[in-house]
Amino acid sequence: MTAGTAAAPTTSAAGRAPEPGAAGWVVTALAVRSVSRGAVLVAGVAAGMAALVAVQHRQLDQELAGASLAALAENPAIRTLFGPPVALDDPGGFTVWRTGTAIAVLVGVWAALAATRVTRGEEEVGRWDLLLAGRLRLPAVLLRHLAVLLGAAALVGAGTAAGLVLAGTATTGAVLFGALIGGTGMVGAALGALAAQLLAERRAAAGLAVGVLLAGLLTRMVADGVPALGWLHWLSPFGLLGRSAPFAADRVLPLVVLAAAVALLVAAAATVATRRDVGSGPWRRSGAVASGTRELRSLPALAARHTGRPVVGWGAAVVAYFLLIGLLATTMTDFLTENPRFAELAARAGFAELGSVRGYVASLFTLLAVPVGGFVASRVAATAADEVAGRLTLLYSLPVRRVRWLAAELTGVATGAVLLAGVAGLATWLGATWVGADLSAGAALAGVLNVLPIVAVCLGAAVAALAWAPAAVLPLGVLPAAGGYLLLVLADTLAWPGWVRGLSPFAHVAAVPAEPVDVPGLAGLLVVAAALTAAGLAGYRRRDLRG
Amino acid sequence: MPVPAPAVPALRAEHLSKRFSRTVAVDDLSLSVSPGEVFGFLGPNGAGKSTTIRMVLGLLRPSGGHVEVFGVPAHDVGRAHRHLAYVPADVALWPALTGRECLDLLAGVGPGTDLDYRAELVERFALDPDRRSRTYSTGNRQKVALVAAFATRAPLLVLDEPTSGLDPLMEREFRRCVTEAADRGQTVFLSSHQLAEVEAVCGRVGILRQGRLVEVAGLRELRRLRRSEISVTLAHPVAAGVGFDGVDGVADLQWRSPVELTMTLAGPPAPVLRALAGLEVVALDVREPSLEELFLDFYGDHRSSREELRA
Repeated sequence: MTAGTAAAPTTSAAGRAPEPGAAGWVVTALAVRSVSRGAVLVAGVAAGMAALVAVQHRQLDQELAGASLAALAENPAIRTLFGPPVALDDPGGFTVWRTGTAIAVLVGVWAALAATRVTRGEEEVGRWDLLLAGRLRLPAVLLRHLAVLLGAAALVGAGTAAGLVLAGTATTGAVLFGALIGGTGMVGAALGALAAQLLAERRAAAGLAVGVLLAGLLTRMVADGVPALGWLHWLSPFGLLGRSAPFAADRVLPLVVLAAAVALLVAAAATVATRRDVGSGPWRRSGAVASGTRELRSLPALAARHTGRPVVGWGAAVVAYFLLIGLLATTMTDFLTENPRFAELAARAGFAELGSVRGYVASLFTLLAVPVGGFVASRVAATAADEVAGRLTLLYSLPVRRVRWLAAELTGVATGAVLLAGVAGLATWLGATWVGADLSAGAALAGVLNVLPIVAVCLGAAVAALAWAPAAVLPLGVLPAAGGYLLLVLADTLAWPGWVRGLSPFAHVAAVPAEPVDVPGLAGLLVVAAALTAAGLAGYRRRDLRG
Repeated sequence: MPVPAPAVPALRAEHLSKRFSRTVAVDDLSLSVSPGEVFGFLGPNGAGKSTTIRMVLGLLRPSGGHVEVFGVPAHDVGRAHRHLAYVPADVALWPALTGRECLDLLAGVGPGTDLDYRAELVERFALDPDRRSRTYSTGNRQKVALVAAFATRAPLLVLDEPTSGLDPLMEREFRRCVTEAADRGQTVFLSSHQLAEVEAVCGRVGILRQGRLVEVAGLRELRRLRRSEISVTLAHPVAAGVGFDGVDGVADLQWRSPVELTMTLAGPPAPVLRALAGLEVVALDVREPSLEELFLDFYGDHRSSREELRA
């Protein structure tokens, strides 16, 4: 070995210089990788749902189904949720009315969550520090991720349009509907990106973006319910979907407004990104806290602390929604009393007291299971995330059995769910009383408590998922509520066999307060929930912890 | 917290193994740590140190064998964890809680905490407990876990690379705390890949390599394993007769140029210094080898790789 060999490594290490400009594509490729799986899944669900409904509508015996369809279309809950029906005789028009809002909410919320996850989520855990140590600056990295997200939303829209065209609907309407769905996804993505620039925590940013989107849904409901406020449609992507009326009027102007909204939000996100520090945001909470203000010495106290803030957030949304339901009670029922033919059809199709306030709120209280089920699933998913992030490691190094901690968490979550249902009932009662509708507080509370067994099934499914499929707690936990509701609506619309309908938890819940409580149904749901929870606890006790 | 009879080992693993699908992370590990001992658990990254510790804590279930803490099976965490406190390698805290809330929670649920000593430790580690843990650096999060663990009177402290984020001042404070814990009779199980730290506080070490425990030795034996690398620069080329071949502990002597030489040394440096005393030395550098080099040296890979280089 001589001194001459020592110089060799220097020359060999400098062999290949990186090509200029490649850095941007590397970031784009990273963004594509983190978004693509969800985009393909959501595109598949959106296209599949639209195509399925369109195909089934064509095969439907119009004579036989007409009456119950018309009754369902005039169900105030369905009207409030899906908007007034147009062109129900056309497979495309029927599909837009039946699935449009659901698909738009799904795509918009997915895009908002994906946007906050791949931008603020990555930044918060420090992975963007590595990225930004390279040649790209923060606005460039953000815009590349945003471009990929907008592309993903466009892909979902194109998939929806393709699904409808393949199902044999008119091309113009299908393309317009696809564009509106893609545009709603783009609004969601841009909203998520803007919220992620303003707030320094992913969870807060996701909450803000989804909150604004859902406020858009409320806005559309107000615009539908109060004719004088019809112009509010223009402020909400869901209202624009209604204004555009694909397969009926096929208006393009709402699409232009949607595109302008996306451009505005993207510009705002980019502007904030150029002015802020990495890892921070203009609406950042202070890190320092006055000492000795709050005691935290036990597991229930920790569980309460975890659940408190989310309960307030979800509670605000639920209160706003059900206050509005209460306020609209007379508007909706008046429409039905003025159209006795619908009430008659509804009665024949099995919707008792649809024209009454109690029938109206009963069908909307059933819906409450979806957000409250989402709340419990998201809280159990947060426990799964705590585990992966290593936040449970210190806790489980204490004399704390896993079942004990999970029981403390689940008690907090269940209490939160009961609170959410309670405030929903009270808000409806307040709203209804304000407009002079006939609804007692007791009837409202009975109606909201009646859906809690469905929420219990969600909780059980989430706990079972935590034990056996911890990466999929949120989707599996929401499935009994969101999937079950969709299944019931599709089964009713398309006259699917009774056993398929029976798979939905909603098939076992009576329309309280319009009907008496279905005690055996609720007991059955509670047994299923208990079995799922017990299986989940047993599995969670035994498995390896991740993280 | 009463310490059980000394006959029961603080930590005992028998034929412990863990497989993750096809990977064998820990392979047939048997080990016993006596009460009051400060035990160093050494190994390179990925050797299986953290996996072993996670089995000790009952976070992972062993694929084979079993492990006990003061005679209590590790999976019975409700009882076993009354005897231990733990500091993870990568401390994650709930971001919305303050450091003080984390400490209060760990004390409230944990195996019993000396609150006065904890207040003292907060001062000594210069921790600001009234900040949300979201704003803490890696080192500050580690301090929270260290303060919480050292303030307990748990008879066994399990520390998994606890100083990786600490600055040298805090590392010194950490070593003092380990010594104080040992003086109180607490057992310390310290996983690390920092040889100097282990050498400063541990009485006995176990060396883990690719999931297998390849050596359990006292500190004196460990010292014997250590080889430092010495480079010397001389003012003038020296006559061929001058050599270090006979000097105690010297090996791998190489002349890089007529005035530069390197060698490795095991044991005390006095004989080498005596041999150098007769020469005009302009620069002398003594570098302690990394743990990885020590492993390679000890297990023979070193010799073969050096031979490959020469070829």
